[in-house]
Amino acid sequence: MSVATASRVIEFREALREAMSEEMRNDKRVFLLGEEVAQYDGAYKVSKGMLEEFGPRRIIDTPISESGFSGMAIGAAMRGLRPIVEFMSWSFSLVAADPILNNAAKMLYMSGGQFGCPIVFRGNDGAGGQLASTHSWCVESLYANVPGLKMAIPYDPYDAKGLLKTAIQDDNPVFFLESERLLSTTGHVPEEEYTIPFGKALIRREGRDCTIISFGRPLHFCEEAAAELAKEGIDCEIIDGRTIRPLDIDTMVQSVQKTNACVVVDQSWSFASVGSEIASQIHSICFDELDNFVHRVHSDDVPTPYAQNLEQAYLPNARKICEAVRAATYNA
Amino acid sequence: MINIDTEPPQNSQGSGSRQARSFDSAPLPEKEVLLGWLRQMLLIREFEVRTMQGYQNRLIGGFCHIYIGQEAIAVGTIAAVNPDDPVVLAYRDHGHALARGMDPKYCMAEMFGRIGGCAKGKGGSMHMFDAEHYLYGGHGIVGAQTPLGTGLAFATKYEDEILHDGKSNHVTLCFMGDGALNQGCFYETMNLASLLDIPVIFVVENNRYSMGTSIERGTSMANDLHVKSEAFGIDHAIVDGKNVTELYSQFKPIADWCRKNSRPYFVEAQTYRYKGHSMSDPRKYRTKDEELVEESKDCIAFLTTQLVEEYDVVADAIKQMTHQVKAQVREAVEWAKNSPETPIEELYKDVFTDSWGPFTGTSAPEMLQDRGEA
Amino acid sequence: MTIEITMPRLSDTMEVGTILHWHVDVGDEVSSGDILADIETDKATMELQTFDDGKVVSLVVNEGEQVNVGTTIATLTGDIPAGGEAPLEELVQTSVPENSEVKSSASVTASKTEHLGSRVSPVARRLAEEHRIDLGTVTGSGPSGRIIKRDILQLVDTKTETTAAATTTQSSVVAGQVSTAAQPIKPLAPTAPWQEDKVVPLSNMRQIIATRLVESKQTIPHYQVTMSFDMDPLLEMRATLNEQLASSGVKLSVNDFLVRCCALAMSSNPEFNASFGGDCILYHGPVNVGIAVAVPEERGGGLVVATIRNADTKSLRSISQESQYLSNKARTSGLSPDEMGDTTFTISNLGMFGVEHFTAIINPPNSAILAVGAAIEKPVIRNGELAVGNEMSATLSLDHRVIDGAMAAMYLKTLKELMENPASLLV
Repeated sequence: MSVATASRVIEFREALREAMSEEMRNDKRVFLLGEEVAQYDGAYKVSKGMLEEFGPRRIIDTPISESGFSGMAIGAAMRGLRPIVEFMSWSFSLVAADPILNNAAKMLYMSGGQFGCPIVFRGNDGAGGQLASTHSWCVESLYANVPGLKMAIPYDPYDAKGLLKTAIQDDNPVFFLESERLLSTTGHVPEEEYTIPFGKALIRREGRDCTIISFGRPLHFCEEAAAELAKEGIDCEIIDGRTIRPLDIDTMVQSVQKTNACVVVDQSWSFASVGSEIASQIHSICFDELDNFVHRVHSDDVPTPYAQNLEQAYLPNARKICEAVRAATYNA
Repeated sequence: MINIDTEPPQNSQGSGSRQARSFDSAPLPEKEVLLGWLRQMLLIREFEVRTMQGYQNRLIGGFCHIYIGQEAIAVGTIAAVNPDDPVVLAYRDHGHALARGMDPKYCMAEMFGRIGGCAKGKGGSMHMFDAEHYLYGGHGIVGAQTPLGTGLAFATKYEDEILHDGKSNHVTLCFMGDGALNQGCFYETMNLASLLDIPVIFVVENNRYSMGTSIERGTSMANDLHVKSEAFGIDHAIVDGKNVTELYSQFKPIADWCRKNSRPYFVEAQTYRYKGHSMSDPRKYRTKDEELVEESKDCIAFLTTQLVEEYDVVADAIKQMTHQVKAQVREAVEWAKNSPETPIEELYKDVFTDSWGPFTGTSAPEMLQDRGEA
Repeated sequence: MTIEITMPRLSDTMEVGTILHWHVDVGDEVSSGDILADIETDKATMELQTFDDGKVVSLVVNEGEQVNVGTTIATLTGDIPAGGEAPLEELVQTSVPENSEVKSSASVTASKTEHLGSRVSPVARRLAEEHRIDLGTVTGSGPSGRIIKRDILQLVDTKTETTAAATTTQSSVVAGQVSTAAQPIKPLAPTAPWQEDKVVPLSNMRQIIATRLVESKQTIPHYQVTMSFDMDPLLEMRATLNEQLASSGVKLSVNDFLVRCCALAMSSNPEFNASFGGDCILYHGPVNVGIAVAVPEERGGGLVVATIRNADTKSLRSISQESQYLSNKARTSGLSPDEMGDTTFTISNLGMFGVEHFTAIINPPNSAILAVGAAIEKPVIRNGELAVGNEMSATLSLDHRVIDGAMAAMYLKTLKELMENPASLLV
């Protein structure tokens, strides 16, 4: 459930747009660049109407040159501007891996504190609908490994707006992972400006028997699973981490101390993943509080398939989450 | 209502038969300035000699790339732009840092891995940064600095148009070697620079070798490099990389034009590096004869001769200058040796600007604090 | 001013270099940039140039010689004013701290998993402790019998009273808990502690004892068999012999008799002189009886087992002498490994403290240990009539993998015959 109290209901994509627009009005140094963000109104209509309001100098269409325009944006950020770079898909960030990891994340360190990089990279992360393996990348586990960048994954429109505003205001590089599948979902978003701090997880559902930790789109699968499990008398507590870096392990730990069982749901592949990192931290901090080892649910360890039935089976779906919770609570 | 013209940008589309743009040579500045250039080149050379010595004595580790032979380019181009024009470099960056005005002691201390270094010892030889002198770093990945340079220039233009409402006051120098001509992001960058009318000059220091690969073996159209920039509608010029006064005369009008018209430029400076690609390169891929021929056309020798013959500078004055430079570099080495090792606590500093988890925020290096820039 | 030229590091992996050829001689003038020598490195042959102007004073390393990077290879006199040229020191490389692995002493392996019902989830273990539930009484419902939170909570919920079994050979376990969910135990009125808390690290001796005894108890299936012995005949003989041999300094103890009897009893009960060998039984030839000796705290405390080798071939007298010697040595300067090793059977005697009965822990690799109490005057039945006699209780602890009940009974029967007919020891 969202924590918003206003009656206004808007789409996830609108919430993103509002966040960017508000920040661009408040601070002239903020600008947006990416493929099709201006005249096309955004490949996914996130930046619709922004060209009219801010003009072609601040809403900039780029050619298909992720490496080039990411590097260019980073150079501008070094100078003190605050660019927002839209990747049409985080899958395309791979060709820009050198500038975003080697330059953005490391600039402050390499320059001995002289030049920071107040930049936001954002775009669709994770499986869309039958987009197949080269367009369905979940990059969180790849990039979260690198020190020097922050990473946020919003769950609903309220979080999308609040977290994106924080990301734009942050002086450090932020990787903002949205989901194509969530763009049309709606939720309550207040009229007035607000931000959501990084590093504070949120309890989406309170429960006694098992802690489920997740981020972004998979949280919706978790809620589906929790409803199913409630019928079996298993009461799940769902934690939305909201940001991977910084990670609010304390809130997660407190929950596990209460339930003594934990399942981590991470849409990336399992090997060396965010899920494995959280499980490892829970194991080390909650060692004496665990009734069972931390169970993990990931997408299957295969390239994302095209066929709909295969893709649905591949995702960290509600069925897999139910199985994991039952196993973790010895109800299998 | 802002004009959102739907016509494609014109400047980058080519015009069929393009005349090479030509400029009148810029007049040279006065003798004192030229003497200043000589001093800078002597400083760079002596500094690089002591850098080599430091490396062989294991005071400097990792990768280390020596600029000896190419001094005229750094000095001549930087002299042609303003002190607050942004500069970004590849990894053969000591010469440019000194030409920009960095005190050699901070540069040497950085290579020695000390807290007094310009990046507090956390960057090393390839990462010379100096915020006060608008030096946005040496960068290690070949070609990666080219989009950064475009971005810096983009930002200066944005500042003028959106933040301050004026014409672009800056031109950005983006240095690279001929090796970067083969890196994909450079082409993406030229495309962007041309499309967006960005005032950046790509200064290609063509020393004819990428590590051990001669340019003919690695770069197509090596004799006609201008086609690479023409492909993007960017003007091209070749300047003499060995003769600093010639270089300045040719380069200054280009820099002024870019600044005024907010357009990019591709300037090739032909030169030669006397030493290997880096400190572990035995230079088997070229002949001793070739090296000797190139070294006989030395940029410092050229300027010295020019000053003596055309400006009545006495040999003694030059000798004195040489001694001063050597002393200055000696002091820099001494200072660097005495600068303490970077404390272990610095490991977790400058990762993020804020403090959270194990990270302890950020602080400016001694170099900026000494100048009251902290 | 002398300038030292050292073997330079010409590649990032170079450790040593060889001078292939000197390009200069002593006395030559050189300027910065001149080549001094050709040097062979791990990667290639490189030229060494001088960074300074000067005159060659000495060439320290010969052509063909290989030296470490940093070694002086030549010297120049330079034109730099004294004090201006900094000496060429080498940076002391911050050494990578050696992995200071804490070498764990012989650790008790987690053989707990071999015990039934010993798999416990961490939170179940904690809950069991909090609610004073003995895990040994819990059946685990988790995989492979793992005890999980639910199992403990169920016990707590149904208000089951449990008593923690008291073990006799271990010390300081609080015995006899009763826990009901309804009424917590009211604590006694607090009194001043009779001593302060203190932590005393284990001496080597106690550490070894701890390890070996735990290992013994955990790996050997112990069981006990007790028998009483009519000690009157033996005590009488002992008194007689001691009187007769007083002048020779012989003083026989009951234990000496025990050693001989136990050793002799082996001949018809060879499995008592055996050890468990995994997939076989190892029958030993020599009968080496170990006697347990208490060691004073100043010497590390605990107890050691001294070996009386070939006890079946030795007379009472020599057993006595040896046993006295070893006991004293154990209490003073300590026993050598030879004096402590190779036992095949052990006797532990607490009779001198008045202990009636106790059980001992087998001393591996023995298969049995005899725990001997005091000979106590008590009413006995002799020939169908009540009389006063000296009875001694002795309890064998046995390894059920080697010795089964019937064998144990036979052995004790043999022993009893020997002990109650001590004259047989003389021949």
